[in-house]
Amino acid sequence: MVARDAVTRVLFEQFSPAAIGAFYAIAGVAVAVFGFGVYVQIRKYRRGAAAEIRGGLLGRFGAMVGTLLSHRTVARRDRGAGEAHRLIFYGFVLLFLGTSTITLDYDVVGPLLGVHFWHGDFYLWFSLVLDVAGVLLSGGLLYMMYRRGWLKPPKLDYARPDRKPGDADYDRSGYRREDWAFLWTLLLIAITGYVLEAARLVWLAGRPDVWDYRWWSPVGAIIADAMRALGLTAPAAAALRWSLWWFHGVLALAFIALIPYSKVKHIFTAAGSLLLRDPQAAQRLPGVPQSQERAGVQYITDLSWKQLLNLDACTKCGRCHEACPARAVGAPLSPRDVILSLREFANRTLESRELPPAAELDVHGKAPGQVATETLWSCRTCMACVEVCPVAIEHLPLIVQMRRKLVEDGTMDPQLQKTLQAIHKSGNSFGESKRKRPAWTKGLPFAVKDARKESVELLWFVGDYASFDPRNQKVTQTFASLLHQAGVDYGILYEAESNAGNDVRRVGEEGLYEMLATANIKSFSGSSFKSIVTTDPHSYNTIRNEYPDFGGNYSIEHYTTLVLRLLQEQRLAPKRKLGLRVTFHDPCHLGRFNKGYDAPRAILGLLGCELVEMGRCRANSFCCGAGGGRIWMPDPVGADRPAHNRMREAAAIPGLQVYVVSCPKDLTMFEDALKATGNEGKFVVKELIELIAEALQAEKSPATAVVAA
Amino acid sequence: MSEILVVAEHRQGQLRPPSLELVGAAHAARRAPSDRIVVALIAQDASQLVPSLSVTGVDEIVTVRSPVAEFEPEIFARAVRGLIEARRPALVLLPHSVDSFGYAAALAAHGGCGFATDIFKIEYDSGGKLIATRGGYGQKVAVEVEFPDKDVIVLAVRAGVFRAPEGSAAPQVTTFETDLGRARTSSVGFIDSSSADDVDMAGVEFILAIGRGVGEQANVERFRELAAAIGATLGCSRPVADAGWLPKSRQIGQSGKTASGCKLYIAMGISGAIQHLAGMKHVATIVAVNSDPGASIFSVAKYGIVGDLFEVAEALEQQFK
Amino acid sequence: MKVLVAVKQVAALDEDFEIRADGRDVEPDFLIRDLNEWDEYSLEEAVRIREAGTAPVEVIVVCVGPEDADEALRKCLAKGADRAVRVWDEALAGSDAIAIARVLAAVARKEAPDLLFAGVQASDHAFAATGVATAALLGWPHAAVVAGLTYTPGAKSAVVRRELEGGTLHEMQIECPAVLTIQLGINAPRYASLRSIKQAAAKPIEVLGLEELGIAAGEVGEAGSAARVRRMYIPDRGRAQMLEGSVEEQAARLAQIIKDATGSAR
Repeated sequence: MVARDAVTRVLFEQFSPAAIGAFYAIAGVAVAVFGFGVYVQIRKYRRGAAAEIRGGLLGRFGAMVGTLLSHRTVARRDRGAGEAHRLIFYGFVLLFLGTSTITLDYDVVGPLLGVHFWHGDFYLWFSLVLDVAGVLLSGGLLYMMYRRGWLKPPKLDYARPDRKPGDADYDRSGYRREDWAFLWTLLLIAITGYVLEAARLVWLAGRPDVWDYRWWSPVGAIIADAMRALGLTAPAAAALRWSLWWFHGVLALAFIALIPYSKVKHIFTAAGSLLLRDPQAAQRLPGVPQSQERAGVQYITDLSWKQLLNLDACTKCGRCHEACPARAVGAPLSPRDVILSLREFANRTLESRELPPAAELDVHGKAPGQVATETLWSCRTCMACVEVCPVAIEHLPLIVQMRRKLVEDGTMDPQLQKTLQAIHKSGNSFGESKRKRPAWTKGLPFAVKDARKESVELLWFVGDYASFDPRNQKVTQTFASLLHQAGVDYGILYEAESNAGNDVRRVGEEGLYEMLATANIKSFSGSSFKSIVTTDPHSYNTIRNEYPDFGGNYSIEHYTTLVLRLLQEQRLAPKRKLGLRVTFHDPCHLGRFNKGYDAPRAILGLLGCELVEMGRCRANSFCCGAGGGRIWMPDPVGADRPAHNRMREAAAIPGLQVYVVSCPKDLTMFEDALKATGNEGKFVVKELIELIAEALQAEKSPATAVVAA
Repeated sequence: MSEILVVAEHRQGQLRPPSLELVGAAHAARRAPSDRIVVALIAQDASQLVPSLSVTGVDEIVTVRSPVAEFEPEIFARAVRGLIEARRPALVLLPHSVDSFGYAAALAAHGGCGFATDIFKIEYDSGGKLIATRGGYGQKVAVEVEFPDKDVIVLAVRAGVFRAPEGSAAPQVTTFETDLGRARTSSVGFIDSSSADDVDMAGVEFILAIGRGVGEQANVERFRELAAAIGATLGCSRPVADAGWLPKSRQIGQSGKTASGCKLYIAMGISGAIQHLAGMKHVATIVAVNSDPGASIFSVAKYGIVGDLFEVAEALEQQFK
Repeated sequence: MKVLVAVKQVAALDEDFEIRADGRDVEPDFLIRDLNEWDEYSLEEAVRIREAGTAPVEVIVVCVGPEDADEALRKCLAKGADRAVRVWDEALAGSDAIAIARVLAAVARKEAPDLLFAGVQASDHAFAATGVATAALLGWPHAAVVAGLTYTPGAKSAVVRRELEGGTLHEMQIECPAVLTIQLGINAPRYASLRSIKQAAAKPIEVLGLEELGIAAGEVGEAGSAARVRRMYIPDRGRAQMLEGSVEEQAARLAQIIKDATGSAR
């Protein structure tokens, strides 16, 4: 009679030494293949450029662990896949830990210390947990198969918008096959594991130390009972066990060996990518060191090793593909396909023993693995891709760095070229003379302090659109009236202000950006103020996140937090509740970039508006399409536009009265889109500032002027 | 008594209109009634063109036989220089034209004469010295120039400013011989750049012209619709044609078409560069729409609207529904 | 093989400019300087000749102007010019096209290029004379308002297409070396990124004076010019009658003008 404490599973039971030897030999080969694969990958990464890793290791490690354990990023916006992957993840991790535990006991602790721990209650609970883990794993895998094979979400056919049928790398069936193979292999390993377990039980049914404890492996036990019911004898079970043991073992070893060569490597690359995550990747772009020969990314070896790792972390989940506003309107850009193209290119060129000559390493173009010019110029730099990626791939900085090369070559839309030249000449994108910048102040019944001459508490950075665009000038004047009414001590820089440069940088004209940032910082240094406020989210983003890299450290807020404070402190007191049914469009550079979701909503609440959220709101807000310099480029004739797409979403809200924006470019884009989509008359587009001004008036008045003389 | 020498311009056997405008300019530039107006005709076959040059005020037509049928800069430069040296006219008038760009400055470089181009006013100061007026800083200012100690003054005169004289005359026709040297350029042929099947803007009565202000190619369609709605033909300024948004045949201006038959011209988003004005400023009724109140177009237009092109286009189209 | 491109840094007027006290020019504070628009096209044409051929071609830009003209030259170096030369002397102030041409001709004699390009005219004073005057002083063949050029580096002749009034092109064959004045639209000038302009800052600009070119002070400046500015003034502009009111009101008025002018009852 075997004591409970001694109950265990004898490994290699009834194996000849030759058989055991063969197994270890195969394992050895598997490890060697795995090792070589890892070596090739690391050699590939080392062929990349140096990487600037921001943030302390401890913080990043903690964040990575948190993300992995919670699976928060995988579950976002795809609940089914998230839950299923959780099951797969935990199932696999437990099974892996289990196998490692056995190895530890059998191959390490046992021989070295003469001690075994894998027995008794530990062994029994262990068996139960692993059986459950196998169920989790299998359940997850089956759901994924169902999702892929029956639910068929469109993103999983991997159809790419940046190539046409007939192009060499248009066909994605290879990827689909690889994905199915991955699912089937894992599932097969799990199933054969259970059947193997059951076969062993049937084979050793005569041994009480095995049979009596069979319910600690419940799945195996069920299958064993069924097998016996079907007439499986012990000797037959022994044979079945023998063949399944080898099948399962070799399959599992092959799976492990192939990790670095297949999609399975995402186990490591995803974790690595998460470990290197820069939460400010899109908000604070990397600069170009003076010493660097070329401004942008031209060759695959210009990518940093972190970026090369990013490429390998991609599992083709398609969330970025779904989120991208350019892709949504049919532009030849999918962030996923930029990453996959470059990955294919990197694998083809950087995994070979010798590095190919430079001419073969150019990533720009239309050949397989290259990224086309139209693809790069389609990007709106809205960072929806970066924000949603579960494995922290940073698509945006890479796209901008590739654009830098296009700008150096002058490969850009002629209108964009003219705009950049105008900005260089006169510091604004409207081609107006510098002197015209403060022209909007002339219509006001009060003076606006000149921050170049007097010290002020609050410096208001107005921005190009707010200064020069006629529609936005009205909003600017209204905001000035609000500040005046609230008794805020504020001033502007008049002609000493230049375009803040956010979009110039995102177009890839880094030299011009440096010039603008330096000029603005010089203007800031020449004045005395406590903090900065702006109505322009783009200016807000760059001054807040990027100017410090150029020596300009300022406390800056977007007007929404300032005005919320003024309302809460009663320095601005609404005289009535507006009672309007509104929806709020989160501007990319305020919301997703800088997490400024709450202040505008709180303001709408204080104004007595009924806020109905659109489906794509807050972090998932859908870009108006003007970012990344696109507002300076013409859209293809007849094509859909992001702003129209967004308007249709808003129009689906029953009884909507006002579409509220808080960004000058949004105002311009959406007012146009309102007309173009035939929604004029159904609801209006208003800047939040305008609603605030309305609420401050005693009665309804059609005039936009707020302050009586 | 001094002589005013006018150099005629011709192309493909036809006299060009500025030649006769120059005679009008010569009239205006006379200091004394005894001043003679002499027209220089440098051509292979002068007899063809002499009749058209026989207008009121022309005292003499001096012909110089050119070895080639079409304009050649060195031939013209040498011919006119020879005439200047032989006859010492007080004033030489050329058109400010593409041909004269090719040789006018050459006269001044060697001859030690006074020289100014794109002149639209000729007068004399109290001391009898000639003062010519031209534009400056992109036509934003007017500049009076003088020619101290110069016996011969060569002026290239802006087209469309002076009027050709009415009536005919019977001038003396003489010939002038001089060594024209060897021409180092030769004419190969003329290429008409416009397509055969597009509109001839010169004959159109009502034109709606668009300029850089329309922003992008996608917006051109909007104005095409507007033009159709109000019954106008769509035209454009140079930047629009250069960008390929409309065919070259639709371009109005110095290097495009002159809207000779036009009665009503609506210019939208056109700033009014001098080259564009050259093609339309003569039109009886010009309406300019521009967001910039300082645009030059408003100085030649009869009516103006300062505003957003697209809003005005929209509102105008509504009027015709 | 060399192409010499003459460029000018032109001055545009700022808002609310003022005339100088002596009435002969605008107050310098109100001048905004930039490379002449025509010169972008002539430089681009020269750089394209270099890029199209296999034989080495050097593109040299020359500008007559004071130190602030270096900015325009840097821009040219960033756009592909190999070398830049600037000529200045106080005596050059007040020079007209003919005086400037004397300087350019001297530089051309020194450099001995195969082609000399200039813009048809400058966007500020639009003399449309400097290039051809230079040709006359050099005794070289010349063609003005070139909107199309076919040329092989080092060839004895080139084919040019002059853009005539009305848009017709006149094709001519011209012996080389020659002076050509280049018209807008002959090509699409490339973009010079700020970075390349900064990098071009490292390239030296050769500065020459009159002595090095063998020019006497009396040959330039006002003394060497063919005309002298007597007076500059802001002319009374004809002014359009502005249609006021809301957009709808303006449109209604305009519709009326259209109906009156076209005499149609629509």
